[in-house]
Amino acid sequence: MSAIISPTYLVLLVLFPLILAPALLFRSTQSIALKLAPWAALPVLLQVLFVAPTVSLHLPWLLLGSELGIGDPTSRLFLLFTALLWWLAGMYARVYLAQQPRRVSFYLYFLLAMSGNLGLILAQDVGSFYVFFALMSFAAYGLVVHERSQQAIYAGRVYIILAVIGELALFAAMVMAVSATNAMGFEAVRTGLAQAESRDLIILLALIGFGIKAGVIGLHVWLPLAHPVAPTPASAVLSGAMIKAGLLGWLRLLPLGETALLQWGEVFMILGLVAAFYGVIVGLTQRDPKTLLAYSSISQMGIMTMAIGLGLTAPNAYPMILIVITLYALHHGLNKGALFLGVGVIAACHGVQRRWVWLGLWLPALALAGAPLSSGMLVKLMLKAQTVNAPEHWISLLPILLSVSALATTLLVGRFLFLLSKPKTSTNMQGSALGLIVPWAMLVVSAQVLPWWFAPPSSITWQLTNIISSLWPVLLGLALIVASLVWMRRRQRQAGMSSPQGYENSDFTPHIPPGDLLIPLSHIFIFVYNFTRRFSVYLFPRWRDTCLAAFKRLWSGITAWRAPEQIETRLAHWHNGLLLFVLLGLLLAWWSWNA
Amino acid sequence: MNWDKWIPLMVVASSLLPGLIIFTLAEKRGRLRTTLNLLGAVVKLGLVGLMVWGVYNEHHYETRLALLPNLELVLRAGPLSLLFVTLSTALWFVTTVYAIGYLEGSAHRNRFFGFFSLCVTATVGVALSGNLITFLLFYELLTLSTYPLLVHRGTEAARRAGQTYLIYTLFGGALLLLGTVWLYSLTGTLEFTPRGFISGLGPEHNSALIMIFILLIAGLGVKAALFPLHGWLPKAMVAPAPVSALLHAVAVVKAGAFGIVRVVYDVFGVETAALLGVTMPLAWLAAFTIIYGSVRALYQDDLKRRLAFSTISQVSYIILGVAIAGPIATIGGVVHLVHQGLMKITLFFCAGNLAETLEIHKVSEMNGVGRRMPWTMAAFTIGAFGMIGAPPIAGFISKWYLGLGALDAGQDWVILVLIGSSLLNAMYFLPILHRAWFREPPKQWPADHQFGDKETAWALLLPPVVTAAFALGIGLLASLPFTPLDWAKLIATREFYQQ
Repeated sequence: MSAIISPTYLVLLVLFPLILAPALLFRSTQSIALKLAPWAALPVLLQVLFVAPTVSLHLPWLLLGSELGIGDPTSRLFLLFTALLWWLAGMYARVYLAQQPRRVSFYLYFLLAMSGNLGLILAQDVGSFYVFFALMSFAAYGLVVHERSQQAIYAGRVYIILAVIGELALFAAMVMAVSATNAMGFEAVRTGLAQAESRDLIILLALIGFGIKAGVIGLHVWLPLAHPVAPTPASAVLSGAMIKAGLLGWLRLLPLGETALLQWGEVFMILGLVAAFYGVIVGLTQRDPKTLLAYSSISQMGIMTMAIGLGLTAPNAYPMILIVITLYALHHGLNKGALFLGVGVIAACHGVQRRWVWLGLWLPALALAGAPLSSGMLVKLMLKAQTVNAPEHWISLLPILLSVSALATTLLVGRFLFLLSKPKTSTNMQGSALGLIVPWAMLVVSAQVLPWWFAPPSSITWQLTNIISSLWPVLLGLALIVASLVWMRRRQRQAGMSSPQGYENSDFTPHIPPGDLLIPLSHIFIFVYNFTRRFSVYLFPRWRDTCLAAFKRLWSGITAWRAPEQIETRLAHWHNGLLLFVLLGLLLAWWSWNA
Repeated sequence: MNWDKWIPLMVVASSLLPGLIIFTLAEKRGRLRTTLNLLGAVVKLGLVGLMVWGVYNEHHYETRLALLPNLELVLRAGPLSLLFVTLSTALWFVTTVYAIGYLEGSAHRNRFFGFFSLCVTATVGVALSGNLITFLLFYELLTLSTYPLLVHRGTEAARRAGQTYLIYTLFGGALLLLGTVWLYSLTGTLEFTPRGFISGLGPEHNSALIMIFILLIAGLGVKAALFPLHGWLPKAMVAPAPVSALLHAVAVVKAGAFGIVRVVYDVFGVETAALLGVTMPLAWLAAFTIIYGSVRALYQDDLKRRLAFSTISQVSYIILGVAIAGPIATIGGVVHLVHQGLMKITLFFCAGNLAETLEIHKVSEMNGVGRRMPWTMAAFTIGAFGMIGAPPIAGFISKWYLGLGALDAGQDWVILVLIGSSLLNAMYFLPILHRAWFREPPKQWPADHQFGDKETAWALLLPPVVTAAFALGIGLLASLPFTPLDWAKLIATREFYQQ
C-alpha cells in the first residue's frame, strides 16, 4: 500500500509549491497562500525522511514521457538538504520580509524556484530534468532582481544571459545524448554515452550548460553579482541548493563509473582546482560579506568539480567518490546557507545578541575550513582518501593542493568573520530578531550534524595523522589572520588614522569589483552588439535603399520602354496601317508562290 | 444518401454562405452578423469534429466535382488535411470572437466579416484540397480574399501595404500556376498521393522536375515568407490585430507552409525529392530565413513588426523540418504547424489588446504593463517562452523533434540553427517580459480605455488566455493520444513507412 501511495505522494508534495504559486496571485486566496508559502518545503522534507529508499513514478503522458522518483541514495540526500534549506530559508523569509510591500512577488518566484529545484532532483529522465531546471533558472531571475535597484537589475541581466546560454547548451547536449543513446532515462543515457560517437561534444556542452549553474571558472561571473543583491534568504538557497543542481546534472548525465575518460577528467580537475584558488584570491579582496561568500561558493564548487574529474578518471572507485561528492554537497550547502542567513541575522541584532551570533557563526565557518571534528573535516578527509585513485602525476599533488585549499578557505572565512565583526550603525529590521535566529540556529546545528549522520560507517579512520592534516591548515590560517590583523593595527597607528571611521579606511586590500572577468569581457560584447545594431539599423537599410534607387534610375532610364508607345501611335495613322496590310499581302503571295 | 461525399464541401460552404449573406446585410444589423459568424464557426467545428471521428473509424470523405476535362475539384480528408483544417477552424472560431470585440464601434464591419469568412473558406479549401489544381484555386482565392482585410482601414499606409502584398502574391501565384501546368503536362495527373505521383517519370525528366520544384516552392514561398520573398509580411502589420493574428498564425502564412509540405510529401515524395537534390538547398534557405527573421526582429521597436519578423523565422522551422528528409524531423516540422499557430496567435492577440486598451504599439511603451493587464501579459509570457523553446510549452516539443530528426538524418548543423534562433528569440522576447513585469509603469498610459473592473473587454481577453492555455496544455500533455504530436507521428508514419 505504501509503495503505491508513496511515489504519487512524493511527486504531489514536490509540486505543492508549484500549485501554491498561482494562489498567491488571486486576492481571495492570497492571505492563505502567504501564510503557507514559507512552509512549502516542509512536507517534502518530512516525506524524504520517512519514504522508502527508492520510489519511482512513471508518467508516460507527461511531456515526452516522464519518470520521477528517488532512484538512489544520492537523490535522497540531495532532496534532504535542498528541502531543509528551502524550508529554513522560508522560515527566515517569513520574518525578514514580514512587512515588505513586494513580498507576494518574492514568494511567487521563491515557490517557483523551489518546485523547480525539488523537481529536478526527482527527475529520472532527461526531459523532466530539463523542464524543472528551466523552471528553476527562470524563476530565480525574479529573486535576483527583487530589490529593483540598479545593481540588482544589472546582476539580473548577467544572470539571465548566462542562464539562457546554459539552457541552450543543455538542450543541445540532451538532444544529442538522446539521439546517440536512443533512450530518455538517465541510466540508459549514461551507459550509452560511454561509447557514443559524439561523446566529447556532449560532455563539452554539459560542462558549459551545467557549469554555468555550478560556477565553473570562466562561467562564474554571474555568481558574485547575483548573491549580494538578492534578499538574504534567496542568496542562501541560491548558493546552498540551486547551484548544486549543476553538480547534480553532471552526476546524472556524465558517464561516471562507466568508463575512464582521462582527458576529460583532467580538464574537470584543473578547472576545479583553478576555481578553488581563484575564488579565494578574489574573495579576499571583497568588502561585502555576501560577495565574499559568493566567491567562497565558487571555490568550494571548484573542489566538487575536481571530485567529478576524479570520478571520470577512476570509474572503479566511482561509487565511493559519488558518496563523497554527495556528502560534500550536503556539507557545503547547509554550512553556506547558515553563513548567508547569518549575515542577515547579525545585521538585525545588537549588543550581546550580536556577539553571540557572531560566535555562533564560527561553527559553519570553521566547518567550511575543515577544522577537526567538523563536518568539513569529514568530507575533506574522505576526499583526500579518494585521491589515491587519481592518475599517477596527480596522486602526490592532490592531497597537498587540498590542504592548501583548506588553508585558503580558512583565510577567506576569517576575513568574512572580520567583515562581520565591524560595528554596524544601521539596521533595517525592527522587531524581534528571534524569528530570524531560530531558523538560522537550526541550520547551523543540522549543518554540523547531518553529514556525520549520513556518512557511511568507518568512512575515516580516527588516526592522529588525519586529525593533524585537518588541523594544521586551520591553525596556520588563523595564525596568518591574527598576524595580518596585528600588522594592520600597526599600520593604522603609524599612519595616524585613529578617526571614528578608522575601521572602514583600514582595509588595505586591493579592490577587485565583483564579477571580475566580466568587466573586460563585457566591453567586447558591448562593442559587438553595437556594431551589429549599427549595421542592421543604419548601414544595411542605407545600402539597400541606395541599390534600389540606382535600380529605379536604371529602369526608368531605359528609353526603349517608350518604343511600344511610339509604334502604337504610328500604327494608329491609317496610311501606316494600309501600308502594313499591303506588305503582309505581298509576303503572303510570295510565300504561297514558293510553297 | 452518401453523406461522406458531401461533408468536405459542406465544411467549405459553412463559412462561404454566412460570408455571402453578411455582404448583403445592412451595416447596423450587428446582432445578426455576430450570430451568422458564430453559427458558421460552430457548424464548421462540428463538421470537422465529425470528420475527425469518421477518419478514425475508417470513413473516407471525398468530394469530387468536375472542373476541367480530366481534372476534378477534389476535397479530401486525410491526416495532414485534418491537422490543418482543425487548426484553422478552431483558431477561426477564437479569432471571430476576438474580431467582434476588437472592431466594436468601427465602420464597414459587414465588409470586414464578409471577407473574413471568405478568407477562412479559402483556407479550409486549401487544407482539404486533394489535388494540385484545387489547391491552386483556393490558394488564389485566399490572396484575393485577404487583400480587402489588409486594406480595411483605408489609410495610405494600408493601401501601400496592400499594393506590396498583391504584387508579391500574384507574382507567386503566377509561378505556382506555371509549375502546376508544366507538371501536369509531364505526368497527366495532379492528385496528391502519399510518396508523390512523379515517381513513374524516368531520369531524363530530372532537370525539368528540379525547375518545377523551384517554381512551386517560389510560388508557395511568397506566402510562407521564405527569404527573399518575405518583404510583404512586415508591411502587412498595418492591418487590424485580428487580421494579423489570422494571417500570421492560420491563413496565409500557414497555407504557404502547408503547401510546401504537400509539394514535398504528396507531389514529389520525400525520397524522390532527396534524390533530385532539391531538399538540401531548401533546408539551407529555410535555415537562413530562420536566422534572418530573428536578427531583424531584434531591432524592431514596434511590437507587431517584431512579431512579424518572428513569424518569418518560425514558419521556416516547418519548412526546415520537411526539408530534412527524415521521419522524426517530419514530426517536428508538421507538429510545429499547430504549435506555432497557437503560440503566435496568442502573441498577436495580446499585441492587439495592448493597442486597443492602452494604445501601446511599441515595446518601449510597455513598461510595467503587467500590472495593468496581468492576464494578457501572462498569456504573452506563455507564448514568448514557447517561442524561446522553454519546456513545457509546445514550442519545446517541436524543437526537440526537429533536433532529434536532424541528428537522425545526419544533419548536425541544424542543431546550431535551432540554438542560434532560440538565443535570438530569447534576446528579443525576454526584454519585453522584463519591461512588462519588472519595471514601473508610467504615470500616464497613451490612452486608458476602461472596461469596468476587468482589464479589457471579455471578447478581447478570453481568446489569448484560451490559446495560451492550449499552447501550454499540448506541450505538457504531448504524449497523450489525439494531441497534435500524436497526429504528426501518424502523418510521418504514413509518409515513410506504410506501403
